[in-house]
Amino acid sequence: MRPLTEDETKVFFEKLSKYIGRNIVHLIDRSDETYYFRLHQDKVYYMSEALMRQAISIGRDQLISLGVCFGKFTKSKKFKLHITALDYLAQYAKYKIWIKPNGENTFLYGNHILKAHLGRITDDTPEHQGVVIYSMSDIPLGFGVTARSTVETRKLQPTDIVAFHQADIGEYLREQNTLF
Amino acid sequence: MDISDQLETQKSKYETITVEKQIPLQYDLALLAAFDTNALDESRLKNDRDNYLKEYARDGTQLLINQIFKLPITSSEMGILAELPEQITVIPREKPLPKPKPPTRWERFAKAKGIQHRKKSKMVYDEATGEWVPRWGYKGTNDDGANDWLIPVPQTEDPFEDQFSKKREAKKERIAKNEARHKRNIEEAEAVLNQPKGADTRSLRKVELQRQIAISKTATASIGKFDKTLKGESKLKGVKRKFEPSIGDVRKEKELSLNILKKVVGKKGDIVNVRKAIAKRDQ
Repeated sequence: MRPLTEDETKVFFEKLSKYIGRNIVHLIDRSDETYYFRLHQDKVYYMSEALMRQAISIGRDQLISLGVCFGKFTKSKKFKLHITALDYLAQYAKYKIWIKPNGENTFLYGNHILKAHLGRITDDTPEHQGVVIYSMSDIPLGFGVTARSTVETRKLQPTDIVAFHQADIGEYLREQNTLF
Repeated sequence: MDISDQLETQKSKYETITVEKQIPLQYDLALLAAFDTNALDESRLKNDRDNYLKEYARDGTQLLINQIFKLPITSSEMGILAELPEQITVIPREKPLPKPKPPTRWERFAKAKGIQHRKKSKMVYDEATGEWVPRWGYKGTNDDGANDWLIPVPQTEDPFEDQFSKKREAKKERIAKNEARHKRNIEEAEAVLNQPKGADTRSLRKVELQRQIAISKTATASIGKFDKTLKGESKLKGVKRKFEPSIGDVRKEKELSLNILKKVVGKKGDIVNVRKAIAKRDQ
């Protein structure tokens, strides 16, 4: 377990800012307790200081996971967000998409979001913008990237893709082994 | 009235303070420790382990406490205190013994020639002034006549040369030469000590030079961060990745990540949403 280097922090923040933008500040500079991002076996974890101080005495090989896993660095040093970060993304998301109940299942099986399933969308969402996907009852289901801007989605056919799937809470079942 | 019965019952409540052991215990009272080398009773250990061990420990503790009560006692405000003796147990040294320093060139030479080191007193008697002065150093006698009020010019020398400055220069040179030798001695000793297998001064110097080249490469405004590597330039050997400690300076870490964040979102994450503003205006 170690702090992220400058380069790693930059890559990580660039990815994170696609979803929550400037709100990363609220993750770093918290009023309740000091929270840290720490790298452990290529995964980035978000944890409180108390937890980190406890975990520091555990060996690298023995430590499997701690805190909230935000994602991992790939071999080519890109950052991939995991669904486990959804709680924080949903809390601070700038752009959101709500999907209708009949589209929930298909999304949770890893499919893209079609125009037919689109319930609501944040007003001014641009193209290729990271968005958090909610059900109509405001339960966060995952996140993705918009295929079209809000204005353009109005002209689309019902079978056209509105947002590309990136992660959904179905992964908690599908990818239990690698997620945390 | 006979109270011997009562005394007897009272006594039987407590265990005896005399314990007998076949081999007497060894004590290190400074550590409040007793070492029992007697063999354990195998059968009792098997059948009645807990009670046996408890008894055994009690007996040992009793003996230890008996020993403590034999120590000289002083009374103070805190109560009665026993003075503990010096520690007997020898704790092994944490680190290995330092390796003997390899002899310098002079030491090797002196050994070959059988030159013995004789200790000289630091102060010497100066007959001219009748005072004791240091053999060397500040106000020392080995100024080689550079402080004399007059120096005769030798027949063979140029009469217009400054003999005073010449002597001073000569001394400076001697000092410089000695320093160079000292440095060489250190380097050679390091080669012997740190490079156990077949490293000589030459190869050590080479490594040192490579290190210095590496340092000079980073002597740019950005500490070499934005330097382009030349084609075919070998990657530097022995450079270890260095990470910040996990528990470090909280404020510094926060500041650093906020700075990076500012750089990352500064481009796109403007406070005014231009797209939205235009849309509002066109409505």
